[in-house]
Amino acid sequence: MTLLSLPSRTDRDLYPALMSPQLCAKYPADHKAFVRIDVSLRVYWHTLFDICPELLELSGPDGMSIFRPFMAWAGEKKLAFDWSYYLWVYVWLRESPFKDRLLADGKYLRSIMGASAARWAVLDRGRNCGLVIGCADSTDFVVGWKCRSVRFGREIELIAPEEPLPAPPDIFGYFTLPTFELDIFPGWQSLAR
Amino acid sequence: MRLGFNFTLGDTYDMVQRLIAERHIDYCEFLIDNFFCVEPDELAKAFDCPIGLHIMYSKFLEADRPTLVDFAARLRDYIDALNPIYVSDHILHFTHEERAFFHLGEVDYSREYEFVRDKVLEWQELVGQRIHFENYLSIMDGGVEAPAFFERLMKETGAGVLFDASNAVCSNRNCGTPFEAWRNVIASARHFHVAGYRNSLIEPFISLDTHAEALAPDTLAFLEDFRSVFDKPGATMTYERDDQIEFDDVVADLKLLRNLFGESEEKRHDLAISA
Repeated sequence: MTLLSLPSRTDRDLYPALMSPQLCAKYPADHKAFVRIDVSLRVYWHTLFDICPELLELSGPDGMSIFRPFMAWAGEKKLAFDWSYYLWVYVWLRESPFKDRLLADGKYLRSIMGASAARWAVLDRGRNCGLVIGCADSTDFVVGWKCRSVRFGREIELIAPEEPLPAPPDIFGYFTLPTFELDIFPGWQSLAR
Repeated sequence: MRLGFNFTLGDTYDMVQRLIAERHIDYCEFLIDNFFCVEPDELAKAFDCPIGLHIMYSKFLEADRPTLVDFAARLRDYIDALNPIYVSDHILHFTHEERAFFHLGEVDYSREYEFVRDKVLEWQELVGQRIHFENYLSIMDGGVEAPAFFERLMKETGAGVLFDASNAVCSNRNCGTPFEAWRNVIASARHFHVAGYRNSLIEPFISLDTHAEALAPDTLAFLEDFRSVFDKPGATMTYERDDQIEFDDVVADLKLLRNLFGESEEKRHDLAISA
């Protein structure tokens, strides 16, 4: 094992690198710290591509032409990596060389919006029951519902409204639902970083 | 030793019912904050067995007080409705500089003790009862400080430890934390977790708590070596499985645990009455 000049006694010493492929590269590959960071980065990778495998059609099978530059961009913008993780990937893709292929097929957007709605339903611990996500690139919107019965899981709905809602002012907008009814439109909120 | 199974979402509802009906488990552990939109009464009626409540995302080390007050109030509704055997939570970092970890961060046991102690005291006060905190799977060498940290934490806060045996096995493999160092913690603990683990994909291998494999031989050997320290009146051990959930595989592991610990005191009592 290579001697390591960077601090690595605790997990805390590695925190910044746990979400940064660039910082990971500073650690020797035969060191436990590198493996620890690699484990963390793989979870970000799998969270993206296991849930949205369509994106691998754009990037190639290892996903790295999306993953590495996106993570670097996310680091510069200090993205929170909350439920909106996938939506920010879409925002980045729209500014990337993948833009034309991304916009040519709505399946990428549907997958990304569904993934973010599901992640909200999984992770949010506030009192709201549902989350609606809209996108300036589509009149459809996606709703994520938290688990409402002990027998069922979370539910994701793709809704094509007869009368479209106004487009969000940014690429994405969202609003939350305090009950299990989609009966309000309080206006779109912008994504927090 | 009462044996239980972790119930995290509705997908395994029928399986858990069958585990209870066939007496493979004696109680069920809800990952309770996954069910905060389900009425407490519905949860209370879901399974005909005692219940443990395990919290995943209170984030009590990081959340602001109003958020914790609200979380605790909702948790309290479930505690009152379900009268759980125990309530447990995690001592972990979920974010760094407000950016979320997807693989959670272990605390620095020597540098963060006072911070964690004060947060534990506040969190128990808000919830209104003793909470059992789970030991994490240590990877880096600072993990060897975990046993002393948890011993001191129990002593100074009145908190319990939900001792995860397979996390201790992984810590032993990853950073050499001796099993013997956990003896006092195990002796004081009444509630336990156990699960399968696997190695990292690249070398030098580290062991990861995946909840997707069968119990490993060294986990079973650890339980056997410390059996008398684990087993005590009122003790519970939750078998966790979150992926690759096949009924026969789960039952096979539960039978290994049952063979190791024998029938629970409560179950022996039930059988004596029915006989």
